[in-house]
Amino acid sequence: MRMISMKLLCGLAAVLVSPSLAMAAAGPVALESTIKIDKLVTENGASHHVLVQPQKVVPGNHVIFLTNYHNTSAKAVDHFVVTNPLPQAVVLESTPADGFEVSVDGGKNWGLLAALKVSSANGVARSAQAGDVTHVRWVIASIAPGASGSLEYHAVVR
Amino acid sequence: MKHASKLLGVVSIAALSTLGANSAHATGTVAGTTILNTVAVNYSVGGIAQTAASASNTVTVDRKVIFTLTGAATTTNVSPGQAVAVTTYQLTNASNDTLDFALSAVNQASGATTAHGGIDAYSTGAITYYVDTNGNGVYDAGTDQAITWVDELAPDASKTVFAVTSIPLSAVNTQVAGIVLTATAEAGGGTGTQGAVLTNSTGANTAGIDTVFADAAGATDSAADGKYSAKGDYTIYAPVLTVQKLSTIISDPINNTTNPKAIPGAVVEYCIVVQNATGGAPTTNLSISDPLPTQVTYLSSFGILLNGTYSGSSCNADGTANVANSSYTAPAGANPANVSGTLSNVAANSATTMRFRVTIN
Repeated sequence: MRMISMKLLCGLAAVLVSPSLAMAAAGPVALESTIKIDKLVTENGASHHVLVQPQKVVPGNHVIFLTNYHNTSAKAVDHFVVTNPLPQAVVLESTPADGFEVSVDGGKNWGLLAALKVSSANGVARSAQAGDVTHVRWVIASIAPGASGSLEYHAVVR
Repeated sequence: MKHASKLLGVVSIAALSTLGANSAHATGTVAGTTILNTVAVNYSVGGIAQTAASASNTVTVDRKVIFTLTGAATTTNVSPGQAVAVTTYQLTNASNDTLDFALSAVNQASGATTAHGGIDAYSTGAITYYVDTNGNGVYDAGTDQAITWVDELAPDASKTVFAVTSIPLSAVNTQVAGIVLTATAEAGGGTGTQGAVLTNSTGANTAGIDTVFADAAGATDSAADGKYSAKGDYTIYAPVLTVQKLSTIISDPINNTTNPKAIPGAVVEYCIVVQNATGGAPTTNLSISDPLPTQVTYLSSFGILLNGTYSGSSCNADGTANVANSSYTAPAGANPANVSGTLSNVAANSATTMRFRVTIN
């Protein structure tokens, strides 16, 4: 990740209004980032989750951050690494089955949440919690020409 | 909002500072905060690393309005005619935004159940509001500021508000007056400026900060209406006093103490009885002042006996002399002689006396 592109993005975000959508199609991979609200709906006595466009987003809402990718080129894309810093205003809702690596130290060290440690103020290391996560990362070995997919993580608005 | 998104951008570069984000408000992310999610992608094609790609998305955190108004734990005991009667409320803003709150208090209808189980029987005077300026939880006249609305209450903050009123002289012991104070959420934003009343944003999400009412139902308002009401009450709790002045002829110069008559030179004992009826409040600062008729002369050798007892319909021969709490003032010009004393507090259903003697001129 290069600093220049990040700064550009930040400038862009300051102008954007919610909910907004930004596409990036530099190179052979098309990316699309969206935000959905996870709503628990009860119908005929049965509860199920539905993903809706954000209406009112208030603290406590369950939010899903989605990244769709699409290899638009004729060549395979290798070692596809998606790095996603967690917005400050949300806290990760992680499960072991999520299949992505997390970082609790700003992207320096990566691993499954259960394997990471956080050193507290008095120097004693403790197991990392979902609330400690600063970044999430997916590593995809190869994307075939024309192939697409979706990556997501769940979070709660602080 | 711009500020927040810039902050987020910085965080993604030097993300260690996001660790501090764990210590967020209990009320949650402040309304207007932009949640910017950015993904960065690195990949290779044919074994050659390509230019990184990225995508982002933002959403604005809306205003969740949730607050409570809590009345005093106990009723406020007041006296008939009391000019400044105070009941205390606590207003707590659990919203994720700084808000103003309009205040509006009304007297409950006669017969309504009041805050502490009483039945409304009289109405107070006009109700004014004061904020606990010095934060000591107690109304201090002249220090605590009069307000008509609560200004700029931050998320997680609470303020003590006093509802101050007057009590009609006609109210009698044990009567209760109930009031209902309602706080209405208004937009914050400017110190010293009352914001507009907030409305629940029921339509589609807008780009700006929408409002979501999440307040519970108070005493007289509904849930999710941007209002919260709470009861308070004022109970008349006054001493119910009766005062009697009894006189007994102790002796005269002819008959001495055997069937004495009220002739010049006779000694007369006065007993002033103060009774507090059942259900009355204890007295405080109970003092008695008795101007003497010019036809009698105070008998200093007997003195003034305070806090005696009263049985049936007569004073008992008791009480104690207490020079500090009693005095005799000799006649001076137009002012008659005067006997005065300060008595101990009298509880409900009990009595106290003050005794002294004079001689008939």
